[in-house]
Amino acid sequence: MSPSSRERERYQRHLTLAEIGAAGQHKLGEARVLVVGAGGLGSPAALYLAAAGCGTLGLVDGDRVELSNLQRQVLFATADVGRAKAEAGRERLAALNPDIRVVAHALELRAANVRELFAQYDIVLDGTDRLAARYLINDACVILRRPLVSAAIHRFEGQLMTYVPGRGPCYRCAFPQGAAAPVGNCAEAGVLGVLPGVLGTLQATEAIKLITGAGEPLIGRLITYDALEMRFGDFRISRRRDCAVCGDAPTITEPRDTPAPAVAAPAGLQRLSVTQLRDLLAQGEREPPLLVDVREVEEFSAGHLADAVNIPLGELAQRLAEIASDRQPIFICRSGGRSLAACQLALAARIAAPVNLEGGMRAWAAEVDPTIEVL
Amino acid sequence: MGCTVRIASPLRSYTAGAASMPARGETLAEVLAHIEQHCPGIRFRMIDEQDRIRPHLRLFVNTSEALELSAAVRDGDTVHIICALSGG
Repeated sequence: MSPSSRERERYQRHLTLAEIGAAGQHKLGEARVLVVGAGGLGSPAALYLAAAGCGTLGLVDGDRVELSNLQRQVLFATADVGRAKAEAGRERLAALNPDIRVVAHALELRAANVRELFAQYDIVLDGTDRLAARYLINDACVILRRPLVSAAIHRFEGQLMTYVPGRGPCYRCAFPQGAAAPVGNCAEAGVLGVLPGVLGTLQATEAIKLITGAGEPLIGRLITYDALEMRFGDFRISRRRDCAVCGDAPTITEPRDTPAPAVAAPAGLQRLSVTQLRDLLAQGEREPPLLVDVREVEEFSAGHLADAVNIPLGELAQRLAEIASDRQPIFICRSGGRSLAACQLALAARIAAPVNLEGGMRAWAAEVDPTIEVL
Repeated sequence: MGCTVRIASPLRSYTAGAASMPARGETLAEVLAHIEQHCPGIRFRMIDEQDRIRPHLRLFVNTSEALELSAAVRDGDTVHIICALSGG
């Protein structure tokens, strides 16, 4: 089908490329791509796919735009703060290219809705910020036979891989399980704003290649990117015959939600809810509990519990001696992930019965003291 | 001479932010033991109590994946620690 004069003008730079041309541009116009997560990765990916003329673009995100998103989530403007991301993103993409169809899915992806959602699209891009969502998306793509372009970021580093059904390893082949101690999302660990711009743009590149057939998709390879050293890595990943979802005898045959935390707490660790801690502190024991806040100094400075000491997780192994062996430490972080890792370190160092504050300072702010600032 | 170990971003809190560090050892086990001496606690984040590589990590010696701690490491090699990232 030959493009209209308006399409010829808009996509002229694509039409000039022999690898894309009119046929490739037509395929782009027919393509249905779902971007899961309208965040740092999803923003550039969706913008470039819209600009490229991807005919149907779905945007899945159940969150609202926050001011702290705008440092990297270039899909949104300051005026969008407080709006549903999926809807604000839909408007922005439609303004960029009114000739495509953009569908806002303002919801959180779950096992209960993933089948119906993915059935409407040909390719899925994963730009989520939770490992549980990554495994749900991967498993659903394998089971429903949808190509998946997956990227993830942390601080100054990113990684990218593409899965095509029947042609190579899936995300679960690369990483069969998530970390026992969460590695931290962007809010917890920080992220260079431009980093998801690089990785999200690579995701869009892969999607366009898959749609048009140009080049070689990134199958069976994991690309890593280190912004500080400006270094890309390229590693071969093989399909695992024992992969739980794409292996020879899969045990996961239906998309499923992964309960969080994904891994059971180690033996010897105790859990404490924020309301239990509130009650404990209110008892006014002669020797109050030892509160060890393992967040970074900047996070601690913004707001912390009275009498808490700050030992960032990265320094904890060297500073465990500061924790008196006869006192039971209660480890605290933003949402309970880093403090769980701290408990594991303490257990490995034979500090008896470390306690993890479940939900961390976010839960404290939500359930006990809404005036405390949590970065 | 020894090898170079490239550290995944989530583990750099153990290396004072260093992206790579020199190490010695003829096997992956020896290399990880060496960096553990300088970065206490880092090995436990990569290797479980049964000496298995944790499933959220991939270890490569140069471009070859190392599936066992007995994998050989030679002078001049680069050991890559790659960790599943979750941020988006």
